[in-house]
Amino acid sequence: MKVEVKRWHAVAQWRWDTGVLSEDSGKGDDDEGEVCGICRVPFEGCCPVCKVPGDDCPLIWGECSHVFHMHCLLKWIGTQASKQQCPMDRRPWGERHPLAHFFFRICHNQCM
Amino acid sequence: MATDALRAQVAAKWQESFARLNHNEPGIVGLLNFTQAWNIARECIRPRGLDEPDSFTQYDKSTFQASFELLNKSRRLPILLESLLEDMRKRFPVIKEEVDRYTLEYERTSDTSFILNLVFRLLKWYKKWLPMQELGATLHSAFVLSFQTHLFSVLTPTFVRGFKDLCASTLPSTDPRTNVPAPNVEMWQAFEILGLLDRYENIIASVGYEHIEAHVVAACSGRWSNPMLGQLRKWMTDKVVPWMLLMYARNATTADDARAMLQNVGSRFDFHMAKTLCDLRTKEIFDIIIDYPDSSGALQDLKECLHRVDQRASLVHTLRKANQKRLLHPGADTRLILTQYVATIKCLRVVDPPGVLLFKVADPIRRYLRERPDTIRCIVSNLVGDDDSGDSLVDESEPIQPLQQYELDDYLDSNWEPEPVDAGPDFRANKPSDVISTLVSIYDSRDLFVKELQLLLAQRLLAIIDDDTEKVEKERRNVEILKIRFGEAALQICEVMLKDMTDSKRIDGHVQSQKASIVHPIILSKQFWPMLEATEIVMPGQFRTLQDEYAKEFTAFKPDKKLRWLPHLGTVHLVLHLEDRIVEVDVPPLEAAFIELFSQQDVWTMDELIAKVGSSVDGTAALKALLTWVDLGVLKEQAENTFRLLEVAESAADGAREWRTVTKSVIELPSAPSIQQQQAEQMRVYWKFIEGMLTNLGSLSLDRIQAMLKLAPGYDQTIEQLGIFMEAARLEELVVVRDGMWKLTPK
Repeated sequence: MKVEVKRWHAVAQWRWDTGVLSEDSGKGDDDEGEVCGICRVPFEGCCPVCKVPGDDCPLIWGECSHVFHMHCLLKWIGTQASKQQCPMDRRPWGERHPLAHFFFRICHNQCM
Repeated sequence: MATDALRAQVAAKWQESFARLNHNEPGIVGLLNFTQAWNIARECIRPRGLDEPDSFTQYDKSTFQASFELLNKSRRLPILLESLLEDMRKRFPVIKEEVDRYTLEYERTSDTSFILNLVFRLLKWYKKWLPMQELGATLHSAFVLSFQTHLFSVLTPTFVRGFKDLCASTLPSTDPRTNVPAPNVEMWQAFEILGLLDRYENIIASVGYEHIEAHVVAACSGRWSNPMLGQLRKWMTDKVVPWMLLMYARNATTADDARAMLQNVGSRFDFHMAKTLCDLRTKEIFDIIIDYPDSSGALQDLKECLHRVDQRASLVHTLRKANQKRLLHPGADTRLILTQYVATIKCLRVVDPPGVLLFKVADPIRRYLRERPDTIRCIVSNLVGDDDSGDSLVDESEPIQPLQQYELDDYLDSNWEPEPVDAGPDFRANKPSDVISTLVSIYDSRDLFVKELQLLLAQRLLAIIDDDTEKVEKERRNVEILKIRFGEAALQICEVMLKDMTDSKRIDGHVQSQKASIVHPIILSKQFWPMLEATEIVMPGQFRTLQDEYAKEFTAFKPDKKLRWLPHLGTVHLVLHLEDRIVEVDVPPLEAAFIELFSQQDVWTMDELIAKVGSSVDGTAALKALLTWVDLGVLKEQAENTFRLLEVAESAADGAREWRTVTKSVIELPSAPSIQQQQAEQMRVYWKFIEGMLTNLGSLSLDRIQAMLKLAPGYDQTIEQLGIFMEAARLEELVVVRDGMWKLTPK
């Protein structure tokens, strides 16, 4: 017997690629997902100001490997108290180069 | 031995009496005259037989006058009266005999003409015996009183019955074709003279009432389309009032006079008519509500009648009882109850605009609905206009408006009116709000509705296959309408769900342009879709490849995102190329996974299959999937739980099925856990908290647990829900309770 698939009407969820190592094991991060360190809303949700998740409320990757909702972080950085530091580790905030993310992953995959 | 004194006394009395009767005539001439006068007088007022000649034929009128004068002078008239009454008493058996004869006859034949004849006969006796007017009012009235007393004492209950029938026969028939009987004036006069009217007034009135009742029931029962009250009033004026005139306005000389006389009794009759109609409609109210809006006439009537007659309590009582008996039982469909409830709302608003009746009637219905598990689902599916269920609860013409919340009293409202007098203590004078608001207010919180809405929307969106934009548009329209009702914020999540649909399409378009794939996924935003029943299926063989390829393309398009498949959702369109036939079918993914496995190997046991696709698939689901293929004639259950691929179709004898190309659709709506299940799921999270508390603090009361859980983020359960949960935990033997203190089961 040959099974020919004509069309697959599938269902999937999108996830932010936060570079967590356990990504392909698939089981570990099943339910809760990770939350933004500032607003405590899951990354796949949206920051308190936004209504629509995804590309309209993107994430921002720091050099220090911490990830936040972009809007949350910009608001933080905009305050005096922030001293331009990452709220998690108090290191000076710097955005990781978008491509760095990829390099990181490619390296990681190769290491695997 | 009489003493002299006594003797003298008696003698003096005798002399006096003698002198009075003798009138100082010489000798006893006076006495003789008196005797003669006495005899004449007695003779002429004696009660006679009907065939005896009248007294006037025997005696001259002046003779009696003289005799009476004489008796009067002698002050013997009272004695005369007494003897007259005594005579009458003695003669009365004759009349009694007659009465008995006629009533017996009536009893035998039930013919009211006997009663009529009897009445005329009695009248004859009465006239025969009636003393002349000239004899003075005292004598006359004494006679009338005594005659009536005797008469009433001989009238039997049978007569009363006959009398009632007789009165009834004079009424205009309910059948409009027969003519109104000519009013029998003589009869009514006879009744009056004999004093029957006064004595049997109640009976006559009851005849009238019964007549009205019969007419109202005959004319109105089951006819609800038009108001009947006007017609009934006209009927009263045309048919009943002339009859009443005979009796109640018999002495009237002018029309105004008659009107004045009738006013009192007329309003009594009118009241009775309204009451009868009201009773009738009250009895029919449940069916009237079912028939709404075809029964609006009846409701108008009811409204007017209730103004006239205070039967509101009985209406509420009847309707509540009818609802209890016919509506609020397990046999009734929730939809049906809702429909009836909505109809009740509309009907009672017609009858009683302030809404007191509605409040009283609706209360049990609302309480009952609250206990039904599928009420919310029913209301919500109606809101979004599920087409599978015929008529909609919501009137299309009703403007869509935001849900109304109970408002506090506005103290500046210049149009404020006090609550109606019969309003209960917890009555809330809600303004006429739309039906949906009322339905939603069955529950205290509208969050439940919003949640159910999301669930339903999720189900419906996932059920859309073939990129049917029209259906998505329809859902979007629905959501827009619901936004007006529930507010923008509440439906934000639905908005995101719809956006996911269009985004998926866009992304799919892009991915397909890069690398054509037969996979067309819907990509969900995890946080914005209700928890969907999660069974992990590891898709085997080519499906896995397809998934991976697509995911790769997706990540290439959106570098910062990745896909996570929900393989248990969706549908697969498959073509199976078997040796002798081709089967083309739409199946859920689990079925597809199984058949893919069969393409590698012809025989599998169920356990092996389950092991291949991931252990989270339970036996029933697997069996169902396999049976789908068995039904399609692709698999065969060889031994228990062992299935074999039928490369060649079994002979037709095994089941006369048509093979060749089978195109079938075996898709069901993706099931989503109900609200209750989701709540239980939520509680499971809090179990950790509870366990921790009880470990650290020993035993705690329910109140304490609730108070501490309140500190946990997102905890929104009531203490009752917590109680239920703890009870469930107790049954699982996780905790024990003693005197209201909960503690962990000692290990």
